[in-house]
Amino acid sequence: MTASNANGARARLGGLLGRGGDRPPRYSAGALARKGLTGEAWPRVWQDHDLKKTYDVIIIGAGVHGLATAYYLATNHGITNVAVLDKGYVGGGGSGRNTAIVRSNYLTPEGVAFYDRSLDLYNSMAADLNINVMFSERGHMTLAHTDSALRTMHWRAEVNKLQGINSSVIGPDEVKGLAPSLDTTSHPRYPILGALYHPPGGIIRHDAVNWGYARGADHLGVEIHQKTEVYDILVQGGELAEGKGAGGKVTGVRTNRGDISAPIVVNCTAGWGSLISAMAGVRLPITTHPLEAAVTEPVKVFLPTVVVSGSLHVYVSQTDRGELVFGASVDPLNTYSMRGSLSFTEELAGHILELMPSVSKMRLLRQWAGLCDMTPDYSPIMGFTPVEGHLTDVGWGTYGFKAGPVSGETMAECIATNTTPKLIEPFKLERFNDGTLVGEKGAAAVGH
Amino acid sequence: MLLVPCPHCGPRNQSDLRLVGESHSRPNPNTATREEWGSYLYLRDNPADWLTETWYCRAGCRQFFKLERNTATNEFRNPPMPGDKIGIAPYTTIDVGSSGNQAGANADGGATFTRRMDGGEK
Ligand SMILES: Cc1cc2nc3c(=O)[nH]c(=O)nc-3n(C[C@H](O)[C@H](O)[C@H](O)COP(=O)(O)OP(=O)(O)OC[C@H]3O[C@@H](n4cnc5c(N)ncnc54)[C@H](O)[C@@H]3O)c2cc1C
Ligand SMILES: [Zn+2]
Repeated sequence: MTASNANGARARLGGLLGRGGDRPPRYSAGALARKGLTGEAWPRVWQDHDLKKTYDVIIIGAGVHGLATAYYLATNHGITNVAVLDKGYVGGGGSGRNTAIVRSNYLTPEGVAFYDRSLDLYNSMAADLNINVMFSERGHMTLAHTDSALRTMHWRAEVNKLQGINSSVIGPDEVKGLAPSLDTTSHPRYPILGALYHPPGGIIRHDAVNWGYARGADHLGVEIHQKTEVYDILVQGGELAEGKGAGGKVTGVRTNRGDISAPIVVNCTAGWGSLISAMAGVRLPITTHPLEAAVTEPVKVFLPTVVVSGSLHVYVSQTDRGELVFGASVDPLNTYSMRGSLSFTEELAGHILELMPSVSKMRLLRQWAGLCDMTPDYSPIMGFTPVEGHLTDVGWGTYGFKAGPVSGETMAECIATNTTPKLIEPFKLERFNDGTLVGEKGAAAVGH
Repeated sequence: MLLVPCPHCGPRNQSDLRLVGESHSRPNPNTATREEWGSYLYLRDNPADWLTETWYCRAGCRQFFKLERNTATNEFRNPPMPGDKIGIAPYTTIDVGSSGNQAGANADGGATFTRRMDGGEK
């Protein structure tokens, strides 16, 4: 497939000049006032379409990864004959269920470079997509309660600094200064010995990110098909039954709305990723685990940073509306069930109170779960597979929301140029045969 | 939290056990190719369906055994009985309803256990 760079350049130029053309219409105070007074309807943010018989690229999964890939295919490469299929609705998977923590203080040089590019894209996103994504760069603090945790923090800080990332280890007094509600005395069972502090980290409004990419892609001609479930991937010439598996070539997909043909089918289904790639005859090193989160009633803002505690398996941030958002580590049981559990809430509340005894009177409003596609090394699986035309962008575990923009950008390049971009080379599927794993457990197991 | 049907202890809280993972046979490390060894170590079927898994009853009988669980609904079926050659005997699915100590509703998973028809109380 040849990239039409002229198109991409025009889109970017339009973006720089802040003109209409390739950019979707603005939301403005003027429009709000006008429509408020006249009762005029807002235009639909993305359109419904009939399914065409064939597309250049089919993307399965309308989460942030699928939508960003479609968006960058259109803007950077001028490829717009693209369908994004989702069995549910836009952002109905992990992309609408996460706790929206964005940061780049990972453990390996490969991981740091990759996530840092995503942070760059998040920084300019509100302007690029013309939507308020409420990115709040409020700082990210990972507490250390043991000597070994403190050692890992120092290691991470040094790897980070070497690559120009703002990240350092701070002591309990500085922790207290940044978040006075934390108990930094020696009384708790796990006293706070220090923390890895990463000022550029923060939180973002995940729905706005999903909708922004959906709107931008739709505006450039990409079709988003909700309630369109993929039942099978059609492959010819492979070594397994029905021509699937290594050596085969993708010809299209079978859906609840009929068969569609396309030479390229991209798997962006996160927790469902194993099931989708199995349809093409590709086995993945993934198991699916639920991750639960919870949110309290809103109170006056008192917690200025994101706080993560690996030893206590919890993390917390306060939204601009004042709710505390809590998360934990994944459920050790692999399952596709997204049912919440009392044991989770109990454990979470206990650990939060160890960190911040003052919130004991607050009430939980809601809890929910999402599916996480866990890999052995806590790094993603991106790029080509042994089946020609079947690409994966999965293995996002508990940490993949922040990677949405850079994954979209690099996957689009991978598809358009038919070569693996340098930034995602380390995340290839073959690493599990070569033994070249990219171990990020120390930086991604709890702090998502 | 699930109620896991340990063949030795009877139903136990999931927190008493460790889920080792999908059961796969280990290739001979001296003759396996890189691909065979890589897939044994890392690749998983991860179906949204019935799956045979290895469990370790760490706070109870400290035995390893295999169980069939549906990963979409978290039901168990055919839990083995003590002394069974696990995974070799042919299994029949039958819902034992209220009889036997292995039947019962799971606290929050809503799963009911079924067991081998010829199992008996050994
Ligand atoms: C509680 C929780 C907290 C998290 N916190 C963070 C965090 O703070 N920071 C962070 O970076 N990450 C976080 N994550 C992880 C992050 O949410 C995910 O990694 C990310 O959203 C994955 O995005 P995606 O686009 O790849 O997949 P998803 O958003 O999961 O989308 C996959 C889509 O595929 C669709 N699909 C599945 N099967 C089919 C089919 N057969 N046919 C058609 N469509 C199909 C689904 O309907 C779904 O919409 C968290 C996750 C959870 C659950
Ligand atoms: Zn036991």
